[in-house]
Amino acid sequence: MSPAPPACREIEADLVATASGEASPAAARRVEGHVSACDRCQRELDRYREVDGIVQSLRRAPLRTSDPTLARAELESKLADLRTRLLAFRRFTSPLGPILIGRTELGVSLVEYLEPGEAVDAARLARLSGGRAVEDTGELESVYGELLEYLDGRRARLDWPLDLRTVRGSFQHRVLEATARLPYGAVASYAGIARDIGAPRAVRAVAQALRHNPLPIAIPCHRVIGSSGALTGYAGDKVGLKQRLLAVEGVRTASGRRHLAIDRRRLYHLFRGEHAYCLPSCGSLLTKPMADVTLFASRDRAEAVGLEPCGECRPDLHPLVPMTGAD
Amino acid sequence: MGRVMDDGAFEAVITAHHAEIHRYLVRVTGRRSEADDLSQETFLRAYRAHAGLPADANVRAWLFAIATNLCRNHFRGEKRRRLAHAAAEAAVPADDGGTPEGEMLLVEARARASEVVDGLPLKQRMAFILRKVHELEYGAVGESLGCSAETARAHVFQALKKIRRAFDTLAMATAGAERTEPTR
Repeated sequence: MSPAPPACREIEADLVATASGEASPAAARRVEGHVSACDRCQRELDRYREVDGIVQSLRRAPLRTSDPTLARAELESKLADLRTRLLAFRRFTSPLGPILIGRTELGVSLVEYLEPGEAVDAARLARLSGGRAVEDTGELESVYGELLEYLDGRRARLDWPLDLRTVRGSFQHRVLEATARLPYGAVASYAGIARDIGAPRAVRAVAQALRHNPLPIAIPCHRVIGSSGALTGYAGDKVGLKQRLLAVEGVRTASGRRHLAIDRRRLYHLFRGEHAYCLPSCGSLLTKPMADVTLFASRDRAEAVGLEPCGECRPDLHPLVPMTGAD
Repeated sequence: MGRVMDDGAFEAVITAHHAEIHRYLVRVTGRRSEADDLSQETFLRAYRAHAGLPADANVRAWLFAIATNLCRNHFRGEKRRRLAHAAAEAAVPADDGGTPEGEMLLVEARARASEVVDGLPLKQRMAFILRKVHELEYGAVGESLGCSAETARAHVFQALKKIRRAFDTLAMATAGAERTEPTR
């Protein structure tokens, strides 16, 4: 075909639009005027109308491979899983400052300390949970109530169902599980947890895993301390909160020369594998590494988990003198 | 616990649009397996985001936009796109001008048109399918493709020109072929 004259090239877009019924009235009139005097474009218009007919039939033509049934079934099953990941969250005030609690259908999945005035980033929470995040509409109220009782010392257990699906990797799972077993009013060391999970050399990794504990308080990582007795860290730079949480449980800390620390000499000892608790002065206990002992704030706390007083040092007859006053 | 405020509404969205979005993705990708994956991803994204959608939003256009975006990412940097271009060249009909007028059935014409569409550059192909098959407004087509309505219109125009050219050397079914096609 020889090149079209400029007037024909100019009208082409309108012509195509007219053929498929998309032209404005003005454009359609222009095309009408043009083709009445231009056979070539009249033929073009006819051709494009034929093309439009084919295109319309394309729309109605069945696709050979388009059965969406399987795809839809898979989608529904994915969505069902996503729904169990729906995170309902709410910001609460607490004696420890603003605190964010989140839960899914399976259980509490998130506890976070917020900075005063810090806004909750729902998009981040959605990514974290792998689903959606929505503001809680009241179902977290009872969780919050229990938390307040706990922080007030009126409750020693938080029996929340937990959803640990945000925890990636079996190592962190094992660390959190071992930590969750630490009784109220007791402390152990990072090295002790490492030993508990059969990875005695992974002390730093244990500390890292606890640093990323998604459920502080509920999984009591505040009960895990350094081998020197120093509290080391908590929730970033919130070691003061760790001290307060331990104080609620009766575990006193003292400001050492450089940092907060517990004093082993003032806590009952449970040696690894034993079933009786001892005075720190029993045998050579004080020289044993922290990795091998769990320390209890009081006889009550030790006996609450079924331990008996040691028959040799008799903590029942010679209890430790309770510490008085704030340290 | 675990109440989802508007899951019922989302269920309705799936019922209303899943099959169509899936068809769209079959047409654009040419593969059912890819359409399966991409349609799933489209609706999962929609599920995560639909709570933030304004009440008067055009959900259908929004879903097409998500699907289109996923397709573009899917094809981006992939050889598939170049293969698609190669296919476009292959799809340009050889000059067999000897075909007798009227012999080409509508079915064949349609098959040829499909070939041309399959061979279009991605944006033209998606614009064409969105507008001509799924009948979205040009504004919505443009939003899907991240361009103006005018640019979207230009893509469709180019696509139509190519289809028309593909028929140039072939005798086409007559304009009435559609109506006279026997029902099967």
